[in-house]
Parts: sequence; C-alpha cells; structure tokens
Amino acid sequence: MLSILICVKQVPDTGRALFDLKTGSIDRASAENIVNPDDLHALETALSIRDTVGARITALSMGPPGAREALYEAAAYGADRCVLLCDPRFAGSDSLATSRALAAAIIKTGPFDLIITGREAIDGSTGHVGYQLSEILKIPLVTRIHAYNIEGRYITIERLYGHEYQKIRASLPLILSVGREDNRVRFLRLADIAVSSNTAIEELSMDDIGGREDEYGITGSPTVVVDTRKFNHTRSRESIEGGATEKARAIVQRLKKHGILQY
Amino acid sequence: MDLSLNGTQLMVRKAVRSFAREALEEWAGVLDRESRPLPSELTAEMGRINLWGIQAPREYGGADLDGISYTVAIEELSRVSAAVGLGVTVHNSVCLAPLLKFGTQDQLNRYAHELASGKKIGGFTVTEPQAGSDAASICTTAVRKGDRYIINGQKAFVTNGGTGDIFLVAATLDPKKKARGIAVFIMEKNMPGFEVGKVEDMMGVRGNMVSELYFNNVSVPAENILGRAEDGFRVCMQALDIGRIGIAAQALGIGMAAYEAAAGYAAERRQFGRPIGEFQGVAFKLAEMKTGLDAARLLIYRAAHLKDKGLPYSVESAMCKRYASSVAMEVCREALQVFGGYGYVKDLPVERYFRDAKITEIYEGTSEVMNIIIGNAIMKEFERM
Repeated sequence: MLSILICVKQVPDTGRALFDLKTGSIDRASAENIVNPDDLHALETALSIRDTVGARITALSMGPPGAREALYEAAAYGADRCVLLCDPRFAGSDSLATSRALAAAIIKTGPFDLIITGREAIDGSTGHVGYQLSEILKIPLVTRIHAYNIEGRYITIERLYGHEYQKIRASLPLILSVGREDNRVRFLRLADIAVSSNTAIEELSMDDIGGREDEYGITGSPTVVVDTRKFNHTRSRESIEGGATEKARAIVQRLKKHGILQY
Repeated sequence: MDLSLNGTQLMVRKAVRSFAREALEEWAGVLDRESRPLPSELTAEMGRINLWGIQAPREYGGADLDGISYTVAIEELSRVSAAVGLGVTVHNSVCLAPLLKFGTQDQLNRYAHELASGKKIGGFTVTEPQAGSDAASICTTAVRKGDRYIINGQKAFVTNGGTGDIFLVAATLDPKKKARGIAVFIMEKNMPGFEVGKVEDMMGVRGNMVSELYFNNVSVPAENILGRAEDGFRVCMQALDIGRIGIAAQALGIGMAAYEAAAGYAAERRQFGRPIGEFQGVAFKLAEMKTGLDAARLLIYRAAHLKDKGLPYSVESAMCKRYASSVAMEVCREALQVFGGYGYVKDLPVERYFRDAKITEIYEGTSEVMNIIIGNAIMKEFERM
C-alpha cells in the first residue's frame, strides 16, 4: 500500500481578513482560520489515489497549537494519521525555514511514496515550499497535474504547462504540488466530522526532528519583509471606435502589449 | 456557560456552507422560478454527506450530531435555498426524529436506515383542509380490520408530499375522543390507495413539492402505528416541538441571507457621493437586522441545547420559532427596502427571500399558536403561585 504525506497549513481566511497597513500584517482577529485552500486540493489528490489503489495518508502541519483544528479537518476528510510540528522555536519561520522543518519531520515520520503539497498558501503566496522540499529531500517535484495513473512504483502524469501538454512517467518517491485547477474537492460527510475530533494528533517538537535552533524560526529565515503595501486593482473602461476589423486589430495590439498574446 | 460553537459545530458550519454555496446556489433560483425539486443526483449527494440523517445514529447511516450542529446545518442550507432547508428539516425533525424516538425495533429496521441515508425521503402530516391549528379535529379515519388498519381521508399542505416516500400520518381511531383518539401511522407512498393530489403553487419555498395526499382504503399493518395507538396526539406534539427548532433555524437562514445581501449592497451602492450604508437611515436598519438575527440565533441554540440535555424545551422551541420567524420577515422587509427598486425585481434573490420568509410564521404552528403555547405556560406557572 502506498504511503502518502500531505502538507496542511492553517491560514487566516485572507479573502475576508482586514490588513493593518501600519505593520503590514493581517489582523488575525478579523478572520477565521481555515485550511489553506490549495492544501485541500492536495488532500483530495491523496484521497482519490487512496480510492483507486489504496494508501495510508498522513497529514503534516507546522503551526501553533491552534493548527490542530486544520488537522482535525484533514482527519474529517479522511487522513489516517495527523502530525503537528509545533515548537515556539519555529515561530517566525519564512518559507525556507519552514521547508527545513517540514523536511526533517518528513524524514522522521516517513518514508513516503508521495508527498503532496498545495501549490501556495493564501497568506504568504510564495509557492516555495514544494520546490524547497524537493531540493532538501532530493526528491523530484511535479506541478500542474491534470491526470495521473499509478502503476506499481511508477506514476504516469499528464500535466498542462502553459501552452504545452506533457505526459511523463516518474518513479516514486515523488513530490506533487496541486492547485485549485487540478481537481474538485469532495464535500465533507457530517458523520466524518462528528468523529474527527477524536483523532489522535502526534506532536513533534524541534528536539524530535533534530537540527540547530538557528536553522529555524526568525534566525533561520533569510527573508526580510521590506515593505507591505495595499494594491488597488482599478479597472478603467476604454471604448474602441471604428469598424470590426479596426476594433479587432486594436484589441490584438493591446493584448500583445500586455504580453497576453505572444504570437 | 459557553455561548461559542465547539470545533465540531464550526466544522459542520464550514462544511454545510461550502456544500450550499458550491452545489446548491446555482439551483436556488431555478427551483423557485420553475417550482421544481432538486435533481436526484444532488439529493443523493446530500445523502452521502449525511444531510438526511444529521442526528440519526451511525448504525442507521446518520451523522449522530448534536442539536446545535443540526440548527447550524439547517441555517446554512436555508441561507442559500429555503426550499432545500425546508425539505431537509422536515425529513429530519418531524419524520426521522419521531421514528427514532417512538419507533419499535422492527420499525427502525425497516425505515431508519432508508430515511437517514436519504434513499427515501420522509414527511409528516396532521393538517387537513378543515383542520389546521385545531389539530385534534382531523377527519382522516383509521378503522381496525384484523391485524391491519384501513385509512381514509385527505391531507393538505404536506411538505415533501410530491417527492417523499415515507410519511407519518395522523388519523383518528375515534373522532368522538378528539385528541385522545388520534394515532400516527407510518405510511408508504407505494401502498395501494395512497395518492398524491395537487402540488401547491406557492408564494415561496417553491422548490419543495408541498402537496395534498389522498388515502382511499389504504391498508396499513397494525405494526406501523408509531408509539402506542392512543399516544398519537402526544407523538404529534413532540414531533412539532422538534420541528419548530428546525423551522426557526430555516427562518434564521433566510434572514441571514437577506441581511448579508443588504449589508453588502449598502456598502457598495453610492448615492449623494457616499455608500448608502453611511446614511443613518440605512445603517440603523442594518443594526436592527443584525441584533434581531443574533437574538434569534441564541434562542434557537438555547432550545437545541435543552433538547440535547434531555430537559423540557417545548416552550423554548415555541419561543425561538415565534421570534426567529418574525425577525426573518422583518429583516427581509427591510433588506428589500435597502435595495429599493432592485429589491423588487426578480434579477436579485432578495424578493425570493421575502417570499420565502413569510411561511415561517405559518407552518409548524402559526405565530398565534406559538403565543398560545407560550401563554399557556406562563399562566400555568403563575396560577401555581
């Protein structure tokens, strides 16, 4: 049976959150915490693999004790095992320090045939973790998965990448990064919610995963936030005069100017 | 005392909310315009996610959730489609719940799993053309013949009537005995002589096939009586106590939908150079809406909480239904006013919320009947002193 690990992050629902423009951070009290949407797509990929070939799914989250809620939700969806990586020494980690900690926890709790992450988290939107895990763990990463088929120790993946359509075959272990275009997340069964709060959550601290304190948290994070600004996406209306051909030409010209049309 | 939802209840809210938004929203307007039921695939998917057996034990395929989770689920469904919220709450609270409470093991074996999984949809009916609030005056008769009863009569305004399969039906064994002569029968639509009459063309909740039911010499086995034969009226009243909490939650959901639409519009619609919500005339309306809805929600949670604890909740159930339904009506009226002309046209759902809200003051006992229940309880309390 395959063993699959999915990475789950608890994030504030940034679609509804308010931003403190002075400090440049999210006012966490203004929004409820949710499971990062892309991570649910990662979980859905794991569940559908389990539905077809059978698998044991481990959900791993790094965060404060409150991140247990995200793991309970993963359990309600069907994760078999939940691991919370929780230590005050991880506080303030950027994506690199996070990836180091996650990689160490994956080594500690593994081995896994597949590691599946969401493409990006809605709070930081860096999209780094999949790539960094790949570098640290020396396991190849495949993104933009459109369809897949597992045959023994191999996986055949169809992926859409820009204008290209690729079909690739890769051997396990592999890291997959999954986004919202890649599948549709099933709806939770209420019966599974009712029992998910009984799920045992394993907790790992820095001492459990090893490494030095200066590799994690703020000291282990090379990222420096210089400035945070609020962007206003304003739309303006423009009307193009002339006959159909002139209008079409004018639209093509503008699309090329913005790099939307390249040929 | 903790007035916040626990982790399970919050997850139920999140899950039902996302189901309602992602799967039901596109249908809500269609069901209303065309007065048609949900497609069967969606009814089946609702079965998969346990919406037809929210509080039923797991052995019957239910989710075994508590009463507060139940109200949360009905609120969230009704926020998107009051008609769907209605079908679900009637099935769960006045068909499945009384079956689970009063049913024999044989009845549970035959019906509980089918209902809780949503393979069969349930209903409950006391009301007849000439017997509404005076439920004891029903004319549908049940006459014993050997080990069976022969049922004759007509029922009116039956929720899930057109689409349902299994109904709890009140019939009188002896009209002279009034309330004491009433028994409740578990009846199946495919029993010979059981016919669906006219599906009502209603003002609101048009996605529920509320209909008449006719019984012409329907032969029902005696073991299909729910509870003891002479207990029928009590079974009905207890079913309605449960049912009212669900209807209150439905009213709350409709009110929430109207309030959120109005608040969003008030923040976006500009007149005289600023959002209309910045004018006190509009802001005060929103303030009244939010306060009323929150108060209704707390009354609903309180009634559900008492029920969960096994304490008496009949009066609290009547109070939450009485209050939530009038808040829903008031909120919809004011929300439509915030939208002005845009609220009156069918392009936006606000007028649907307005039409849907009205029924919550009528069914499962009118507001006046709720006041009778509450008033009687007050008199009982003070006359004792």
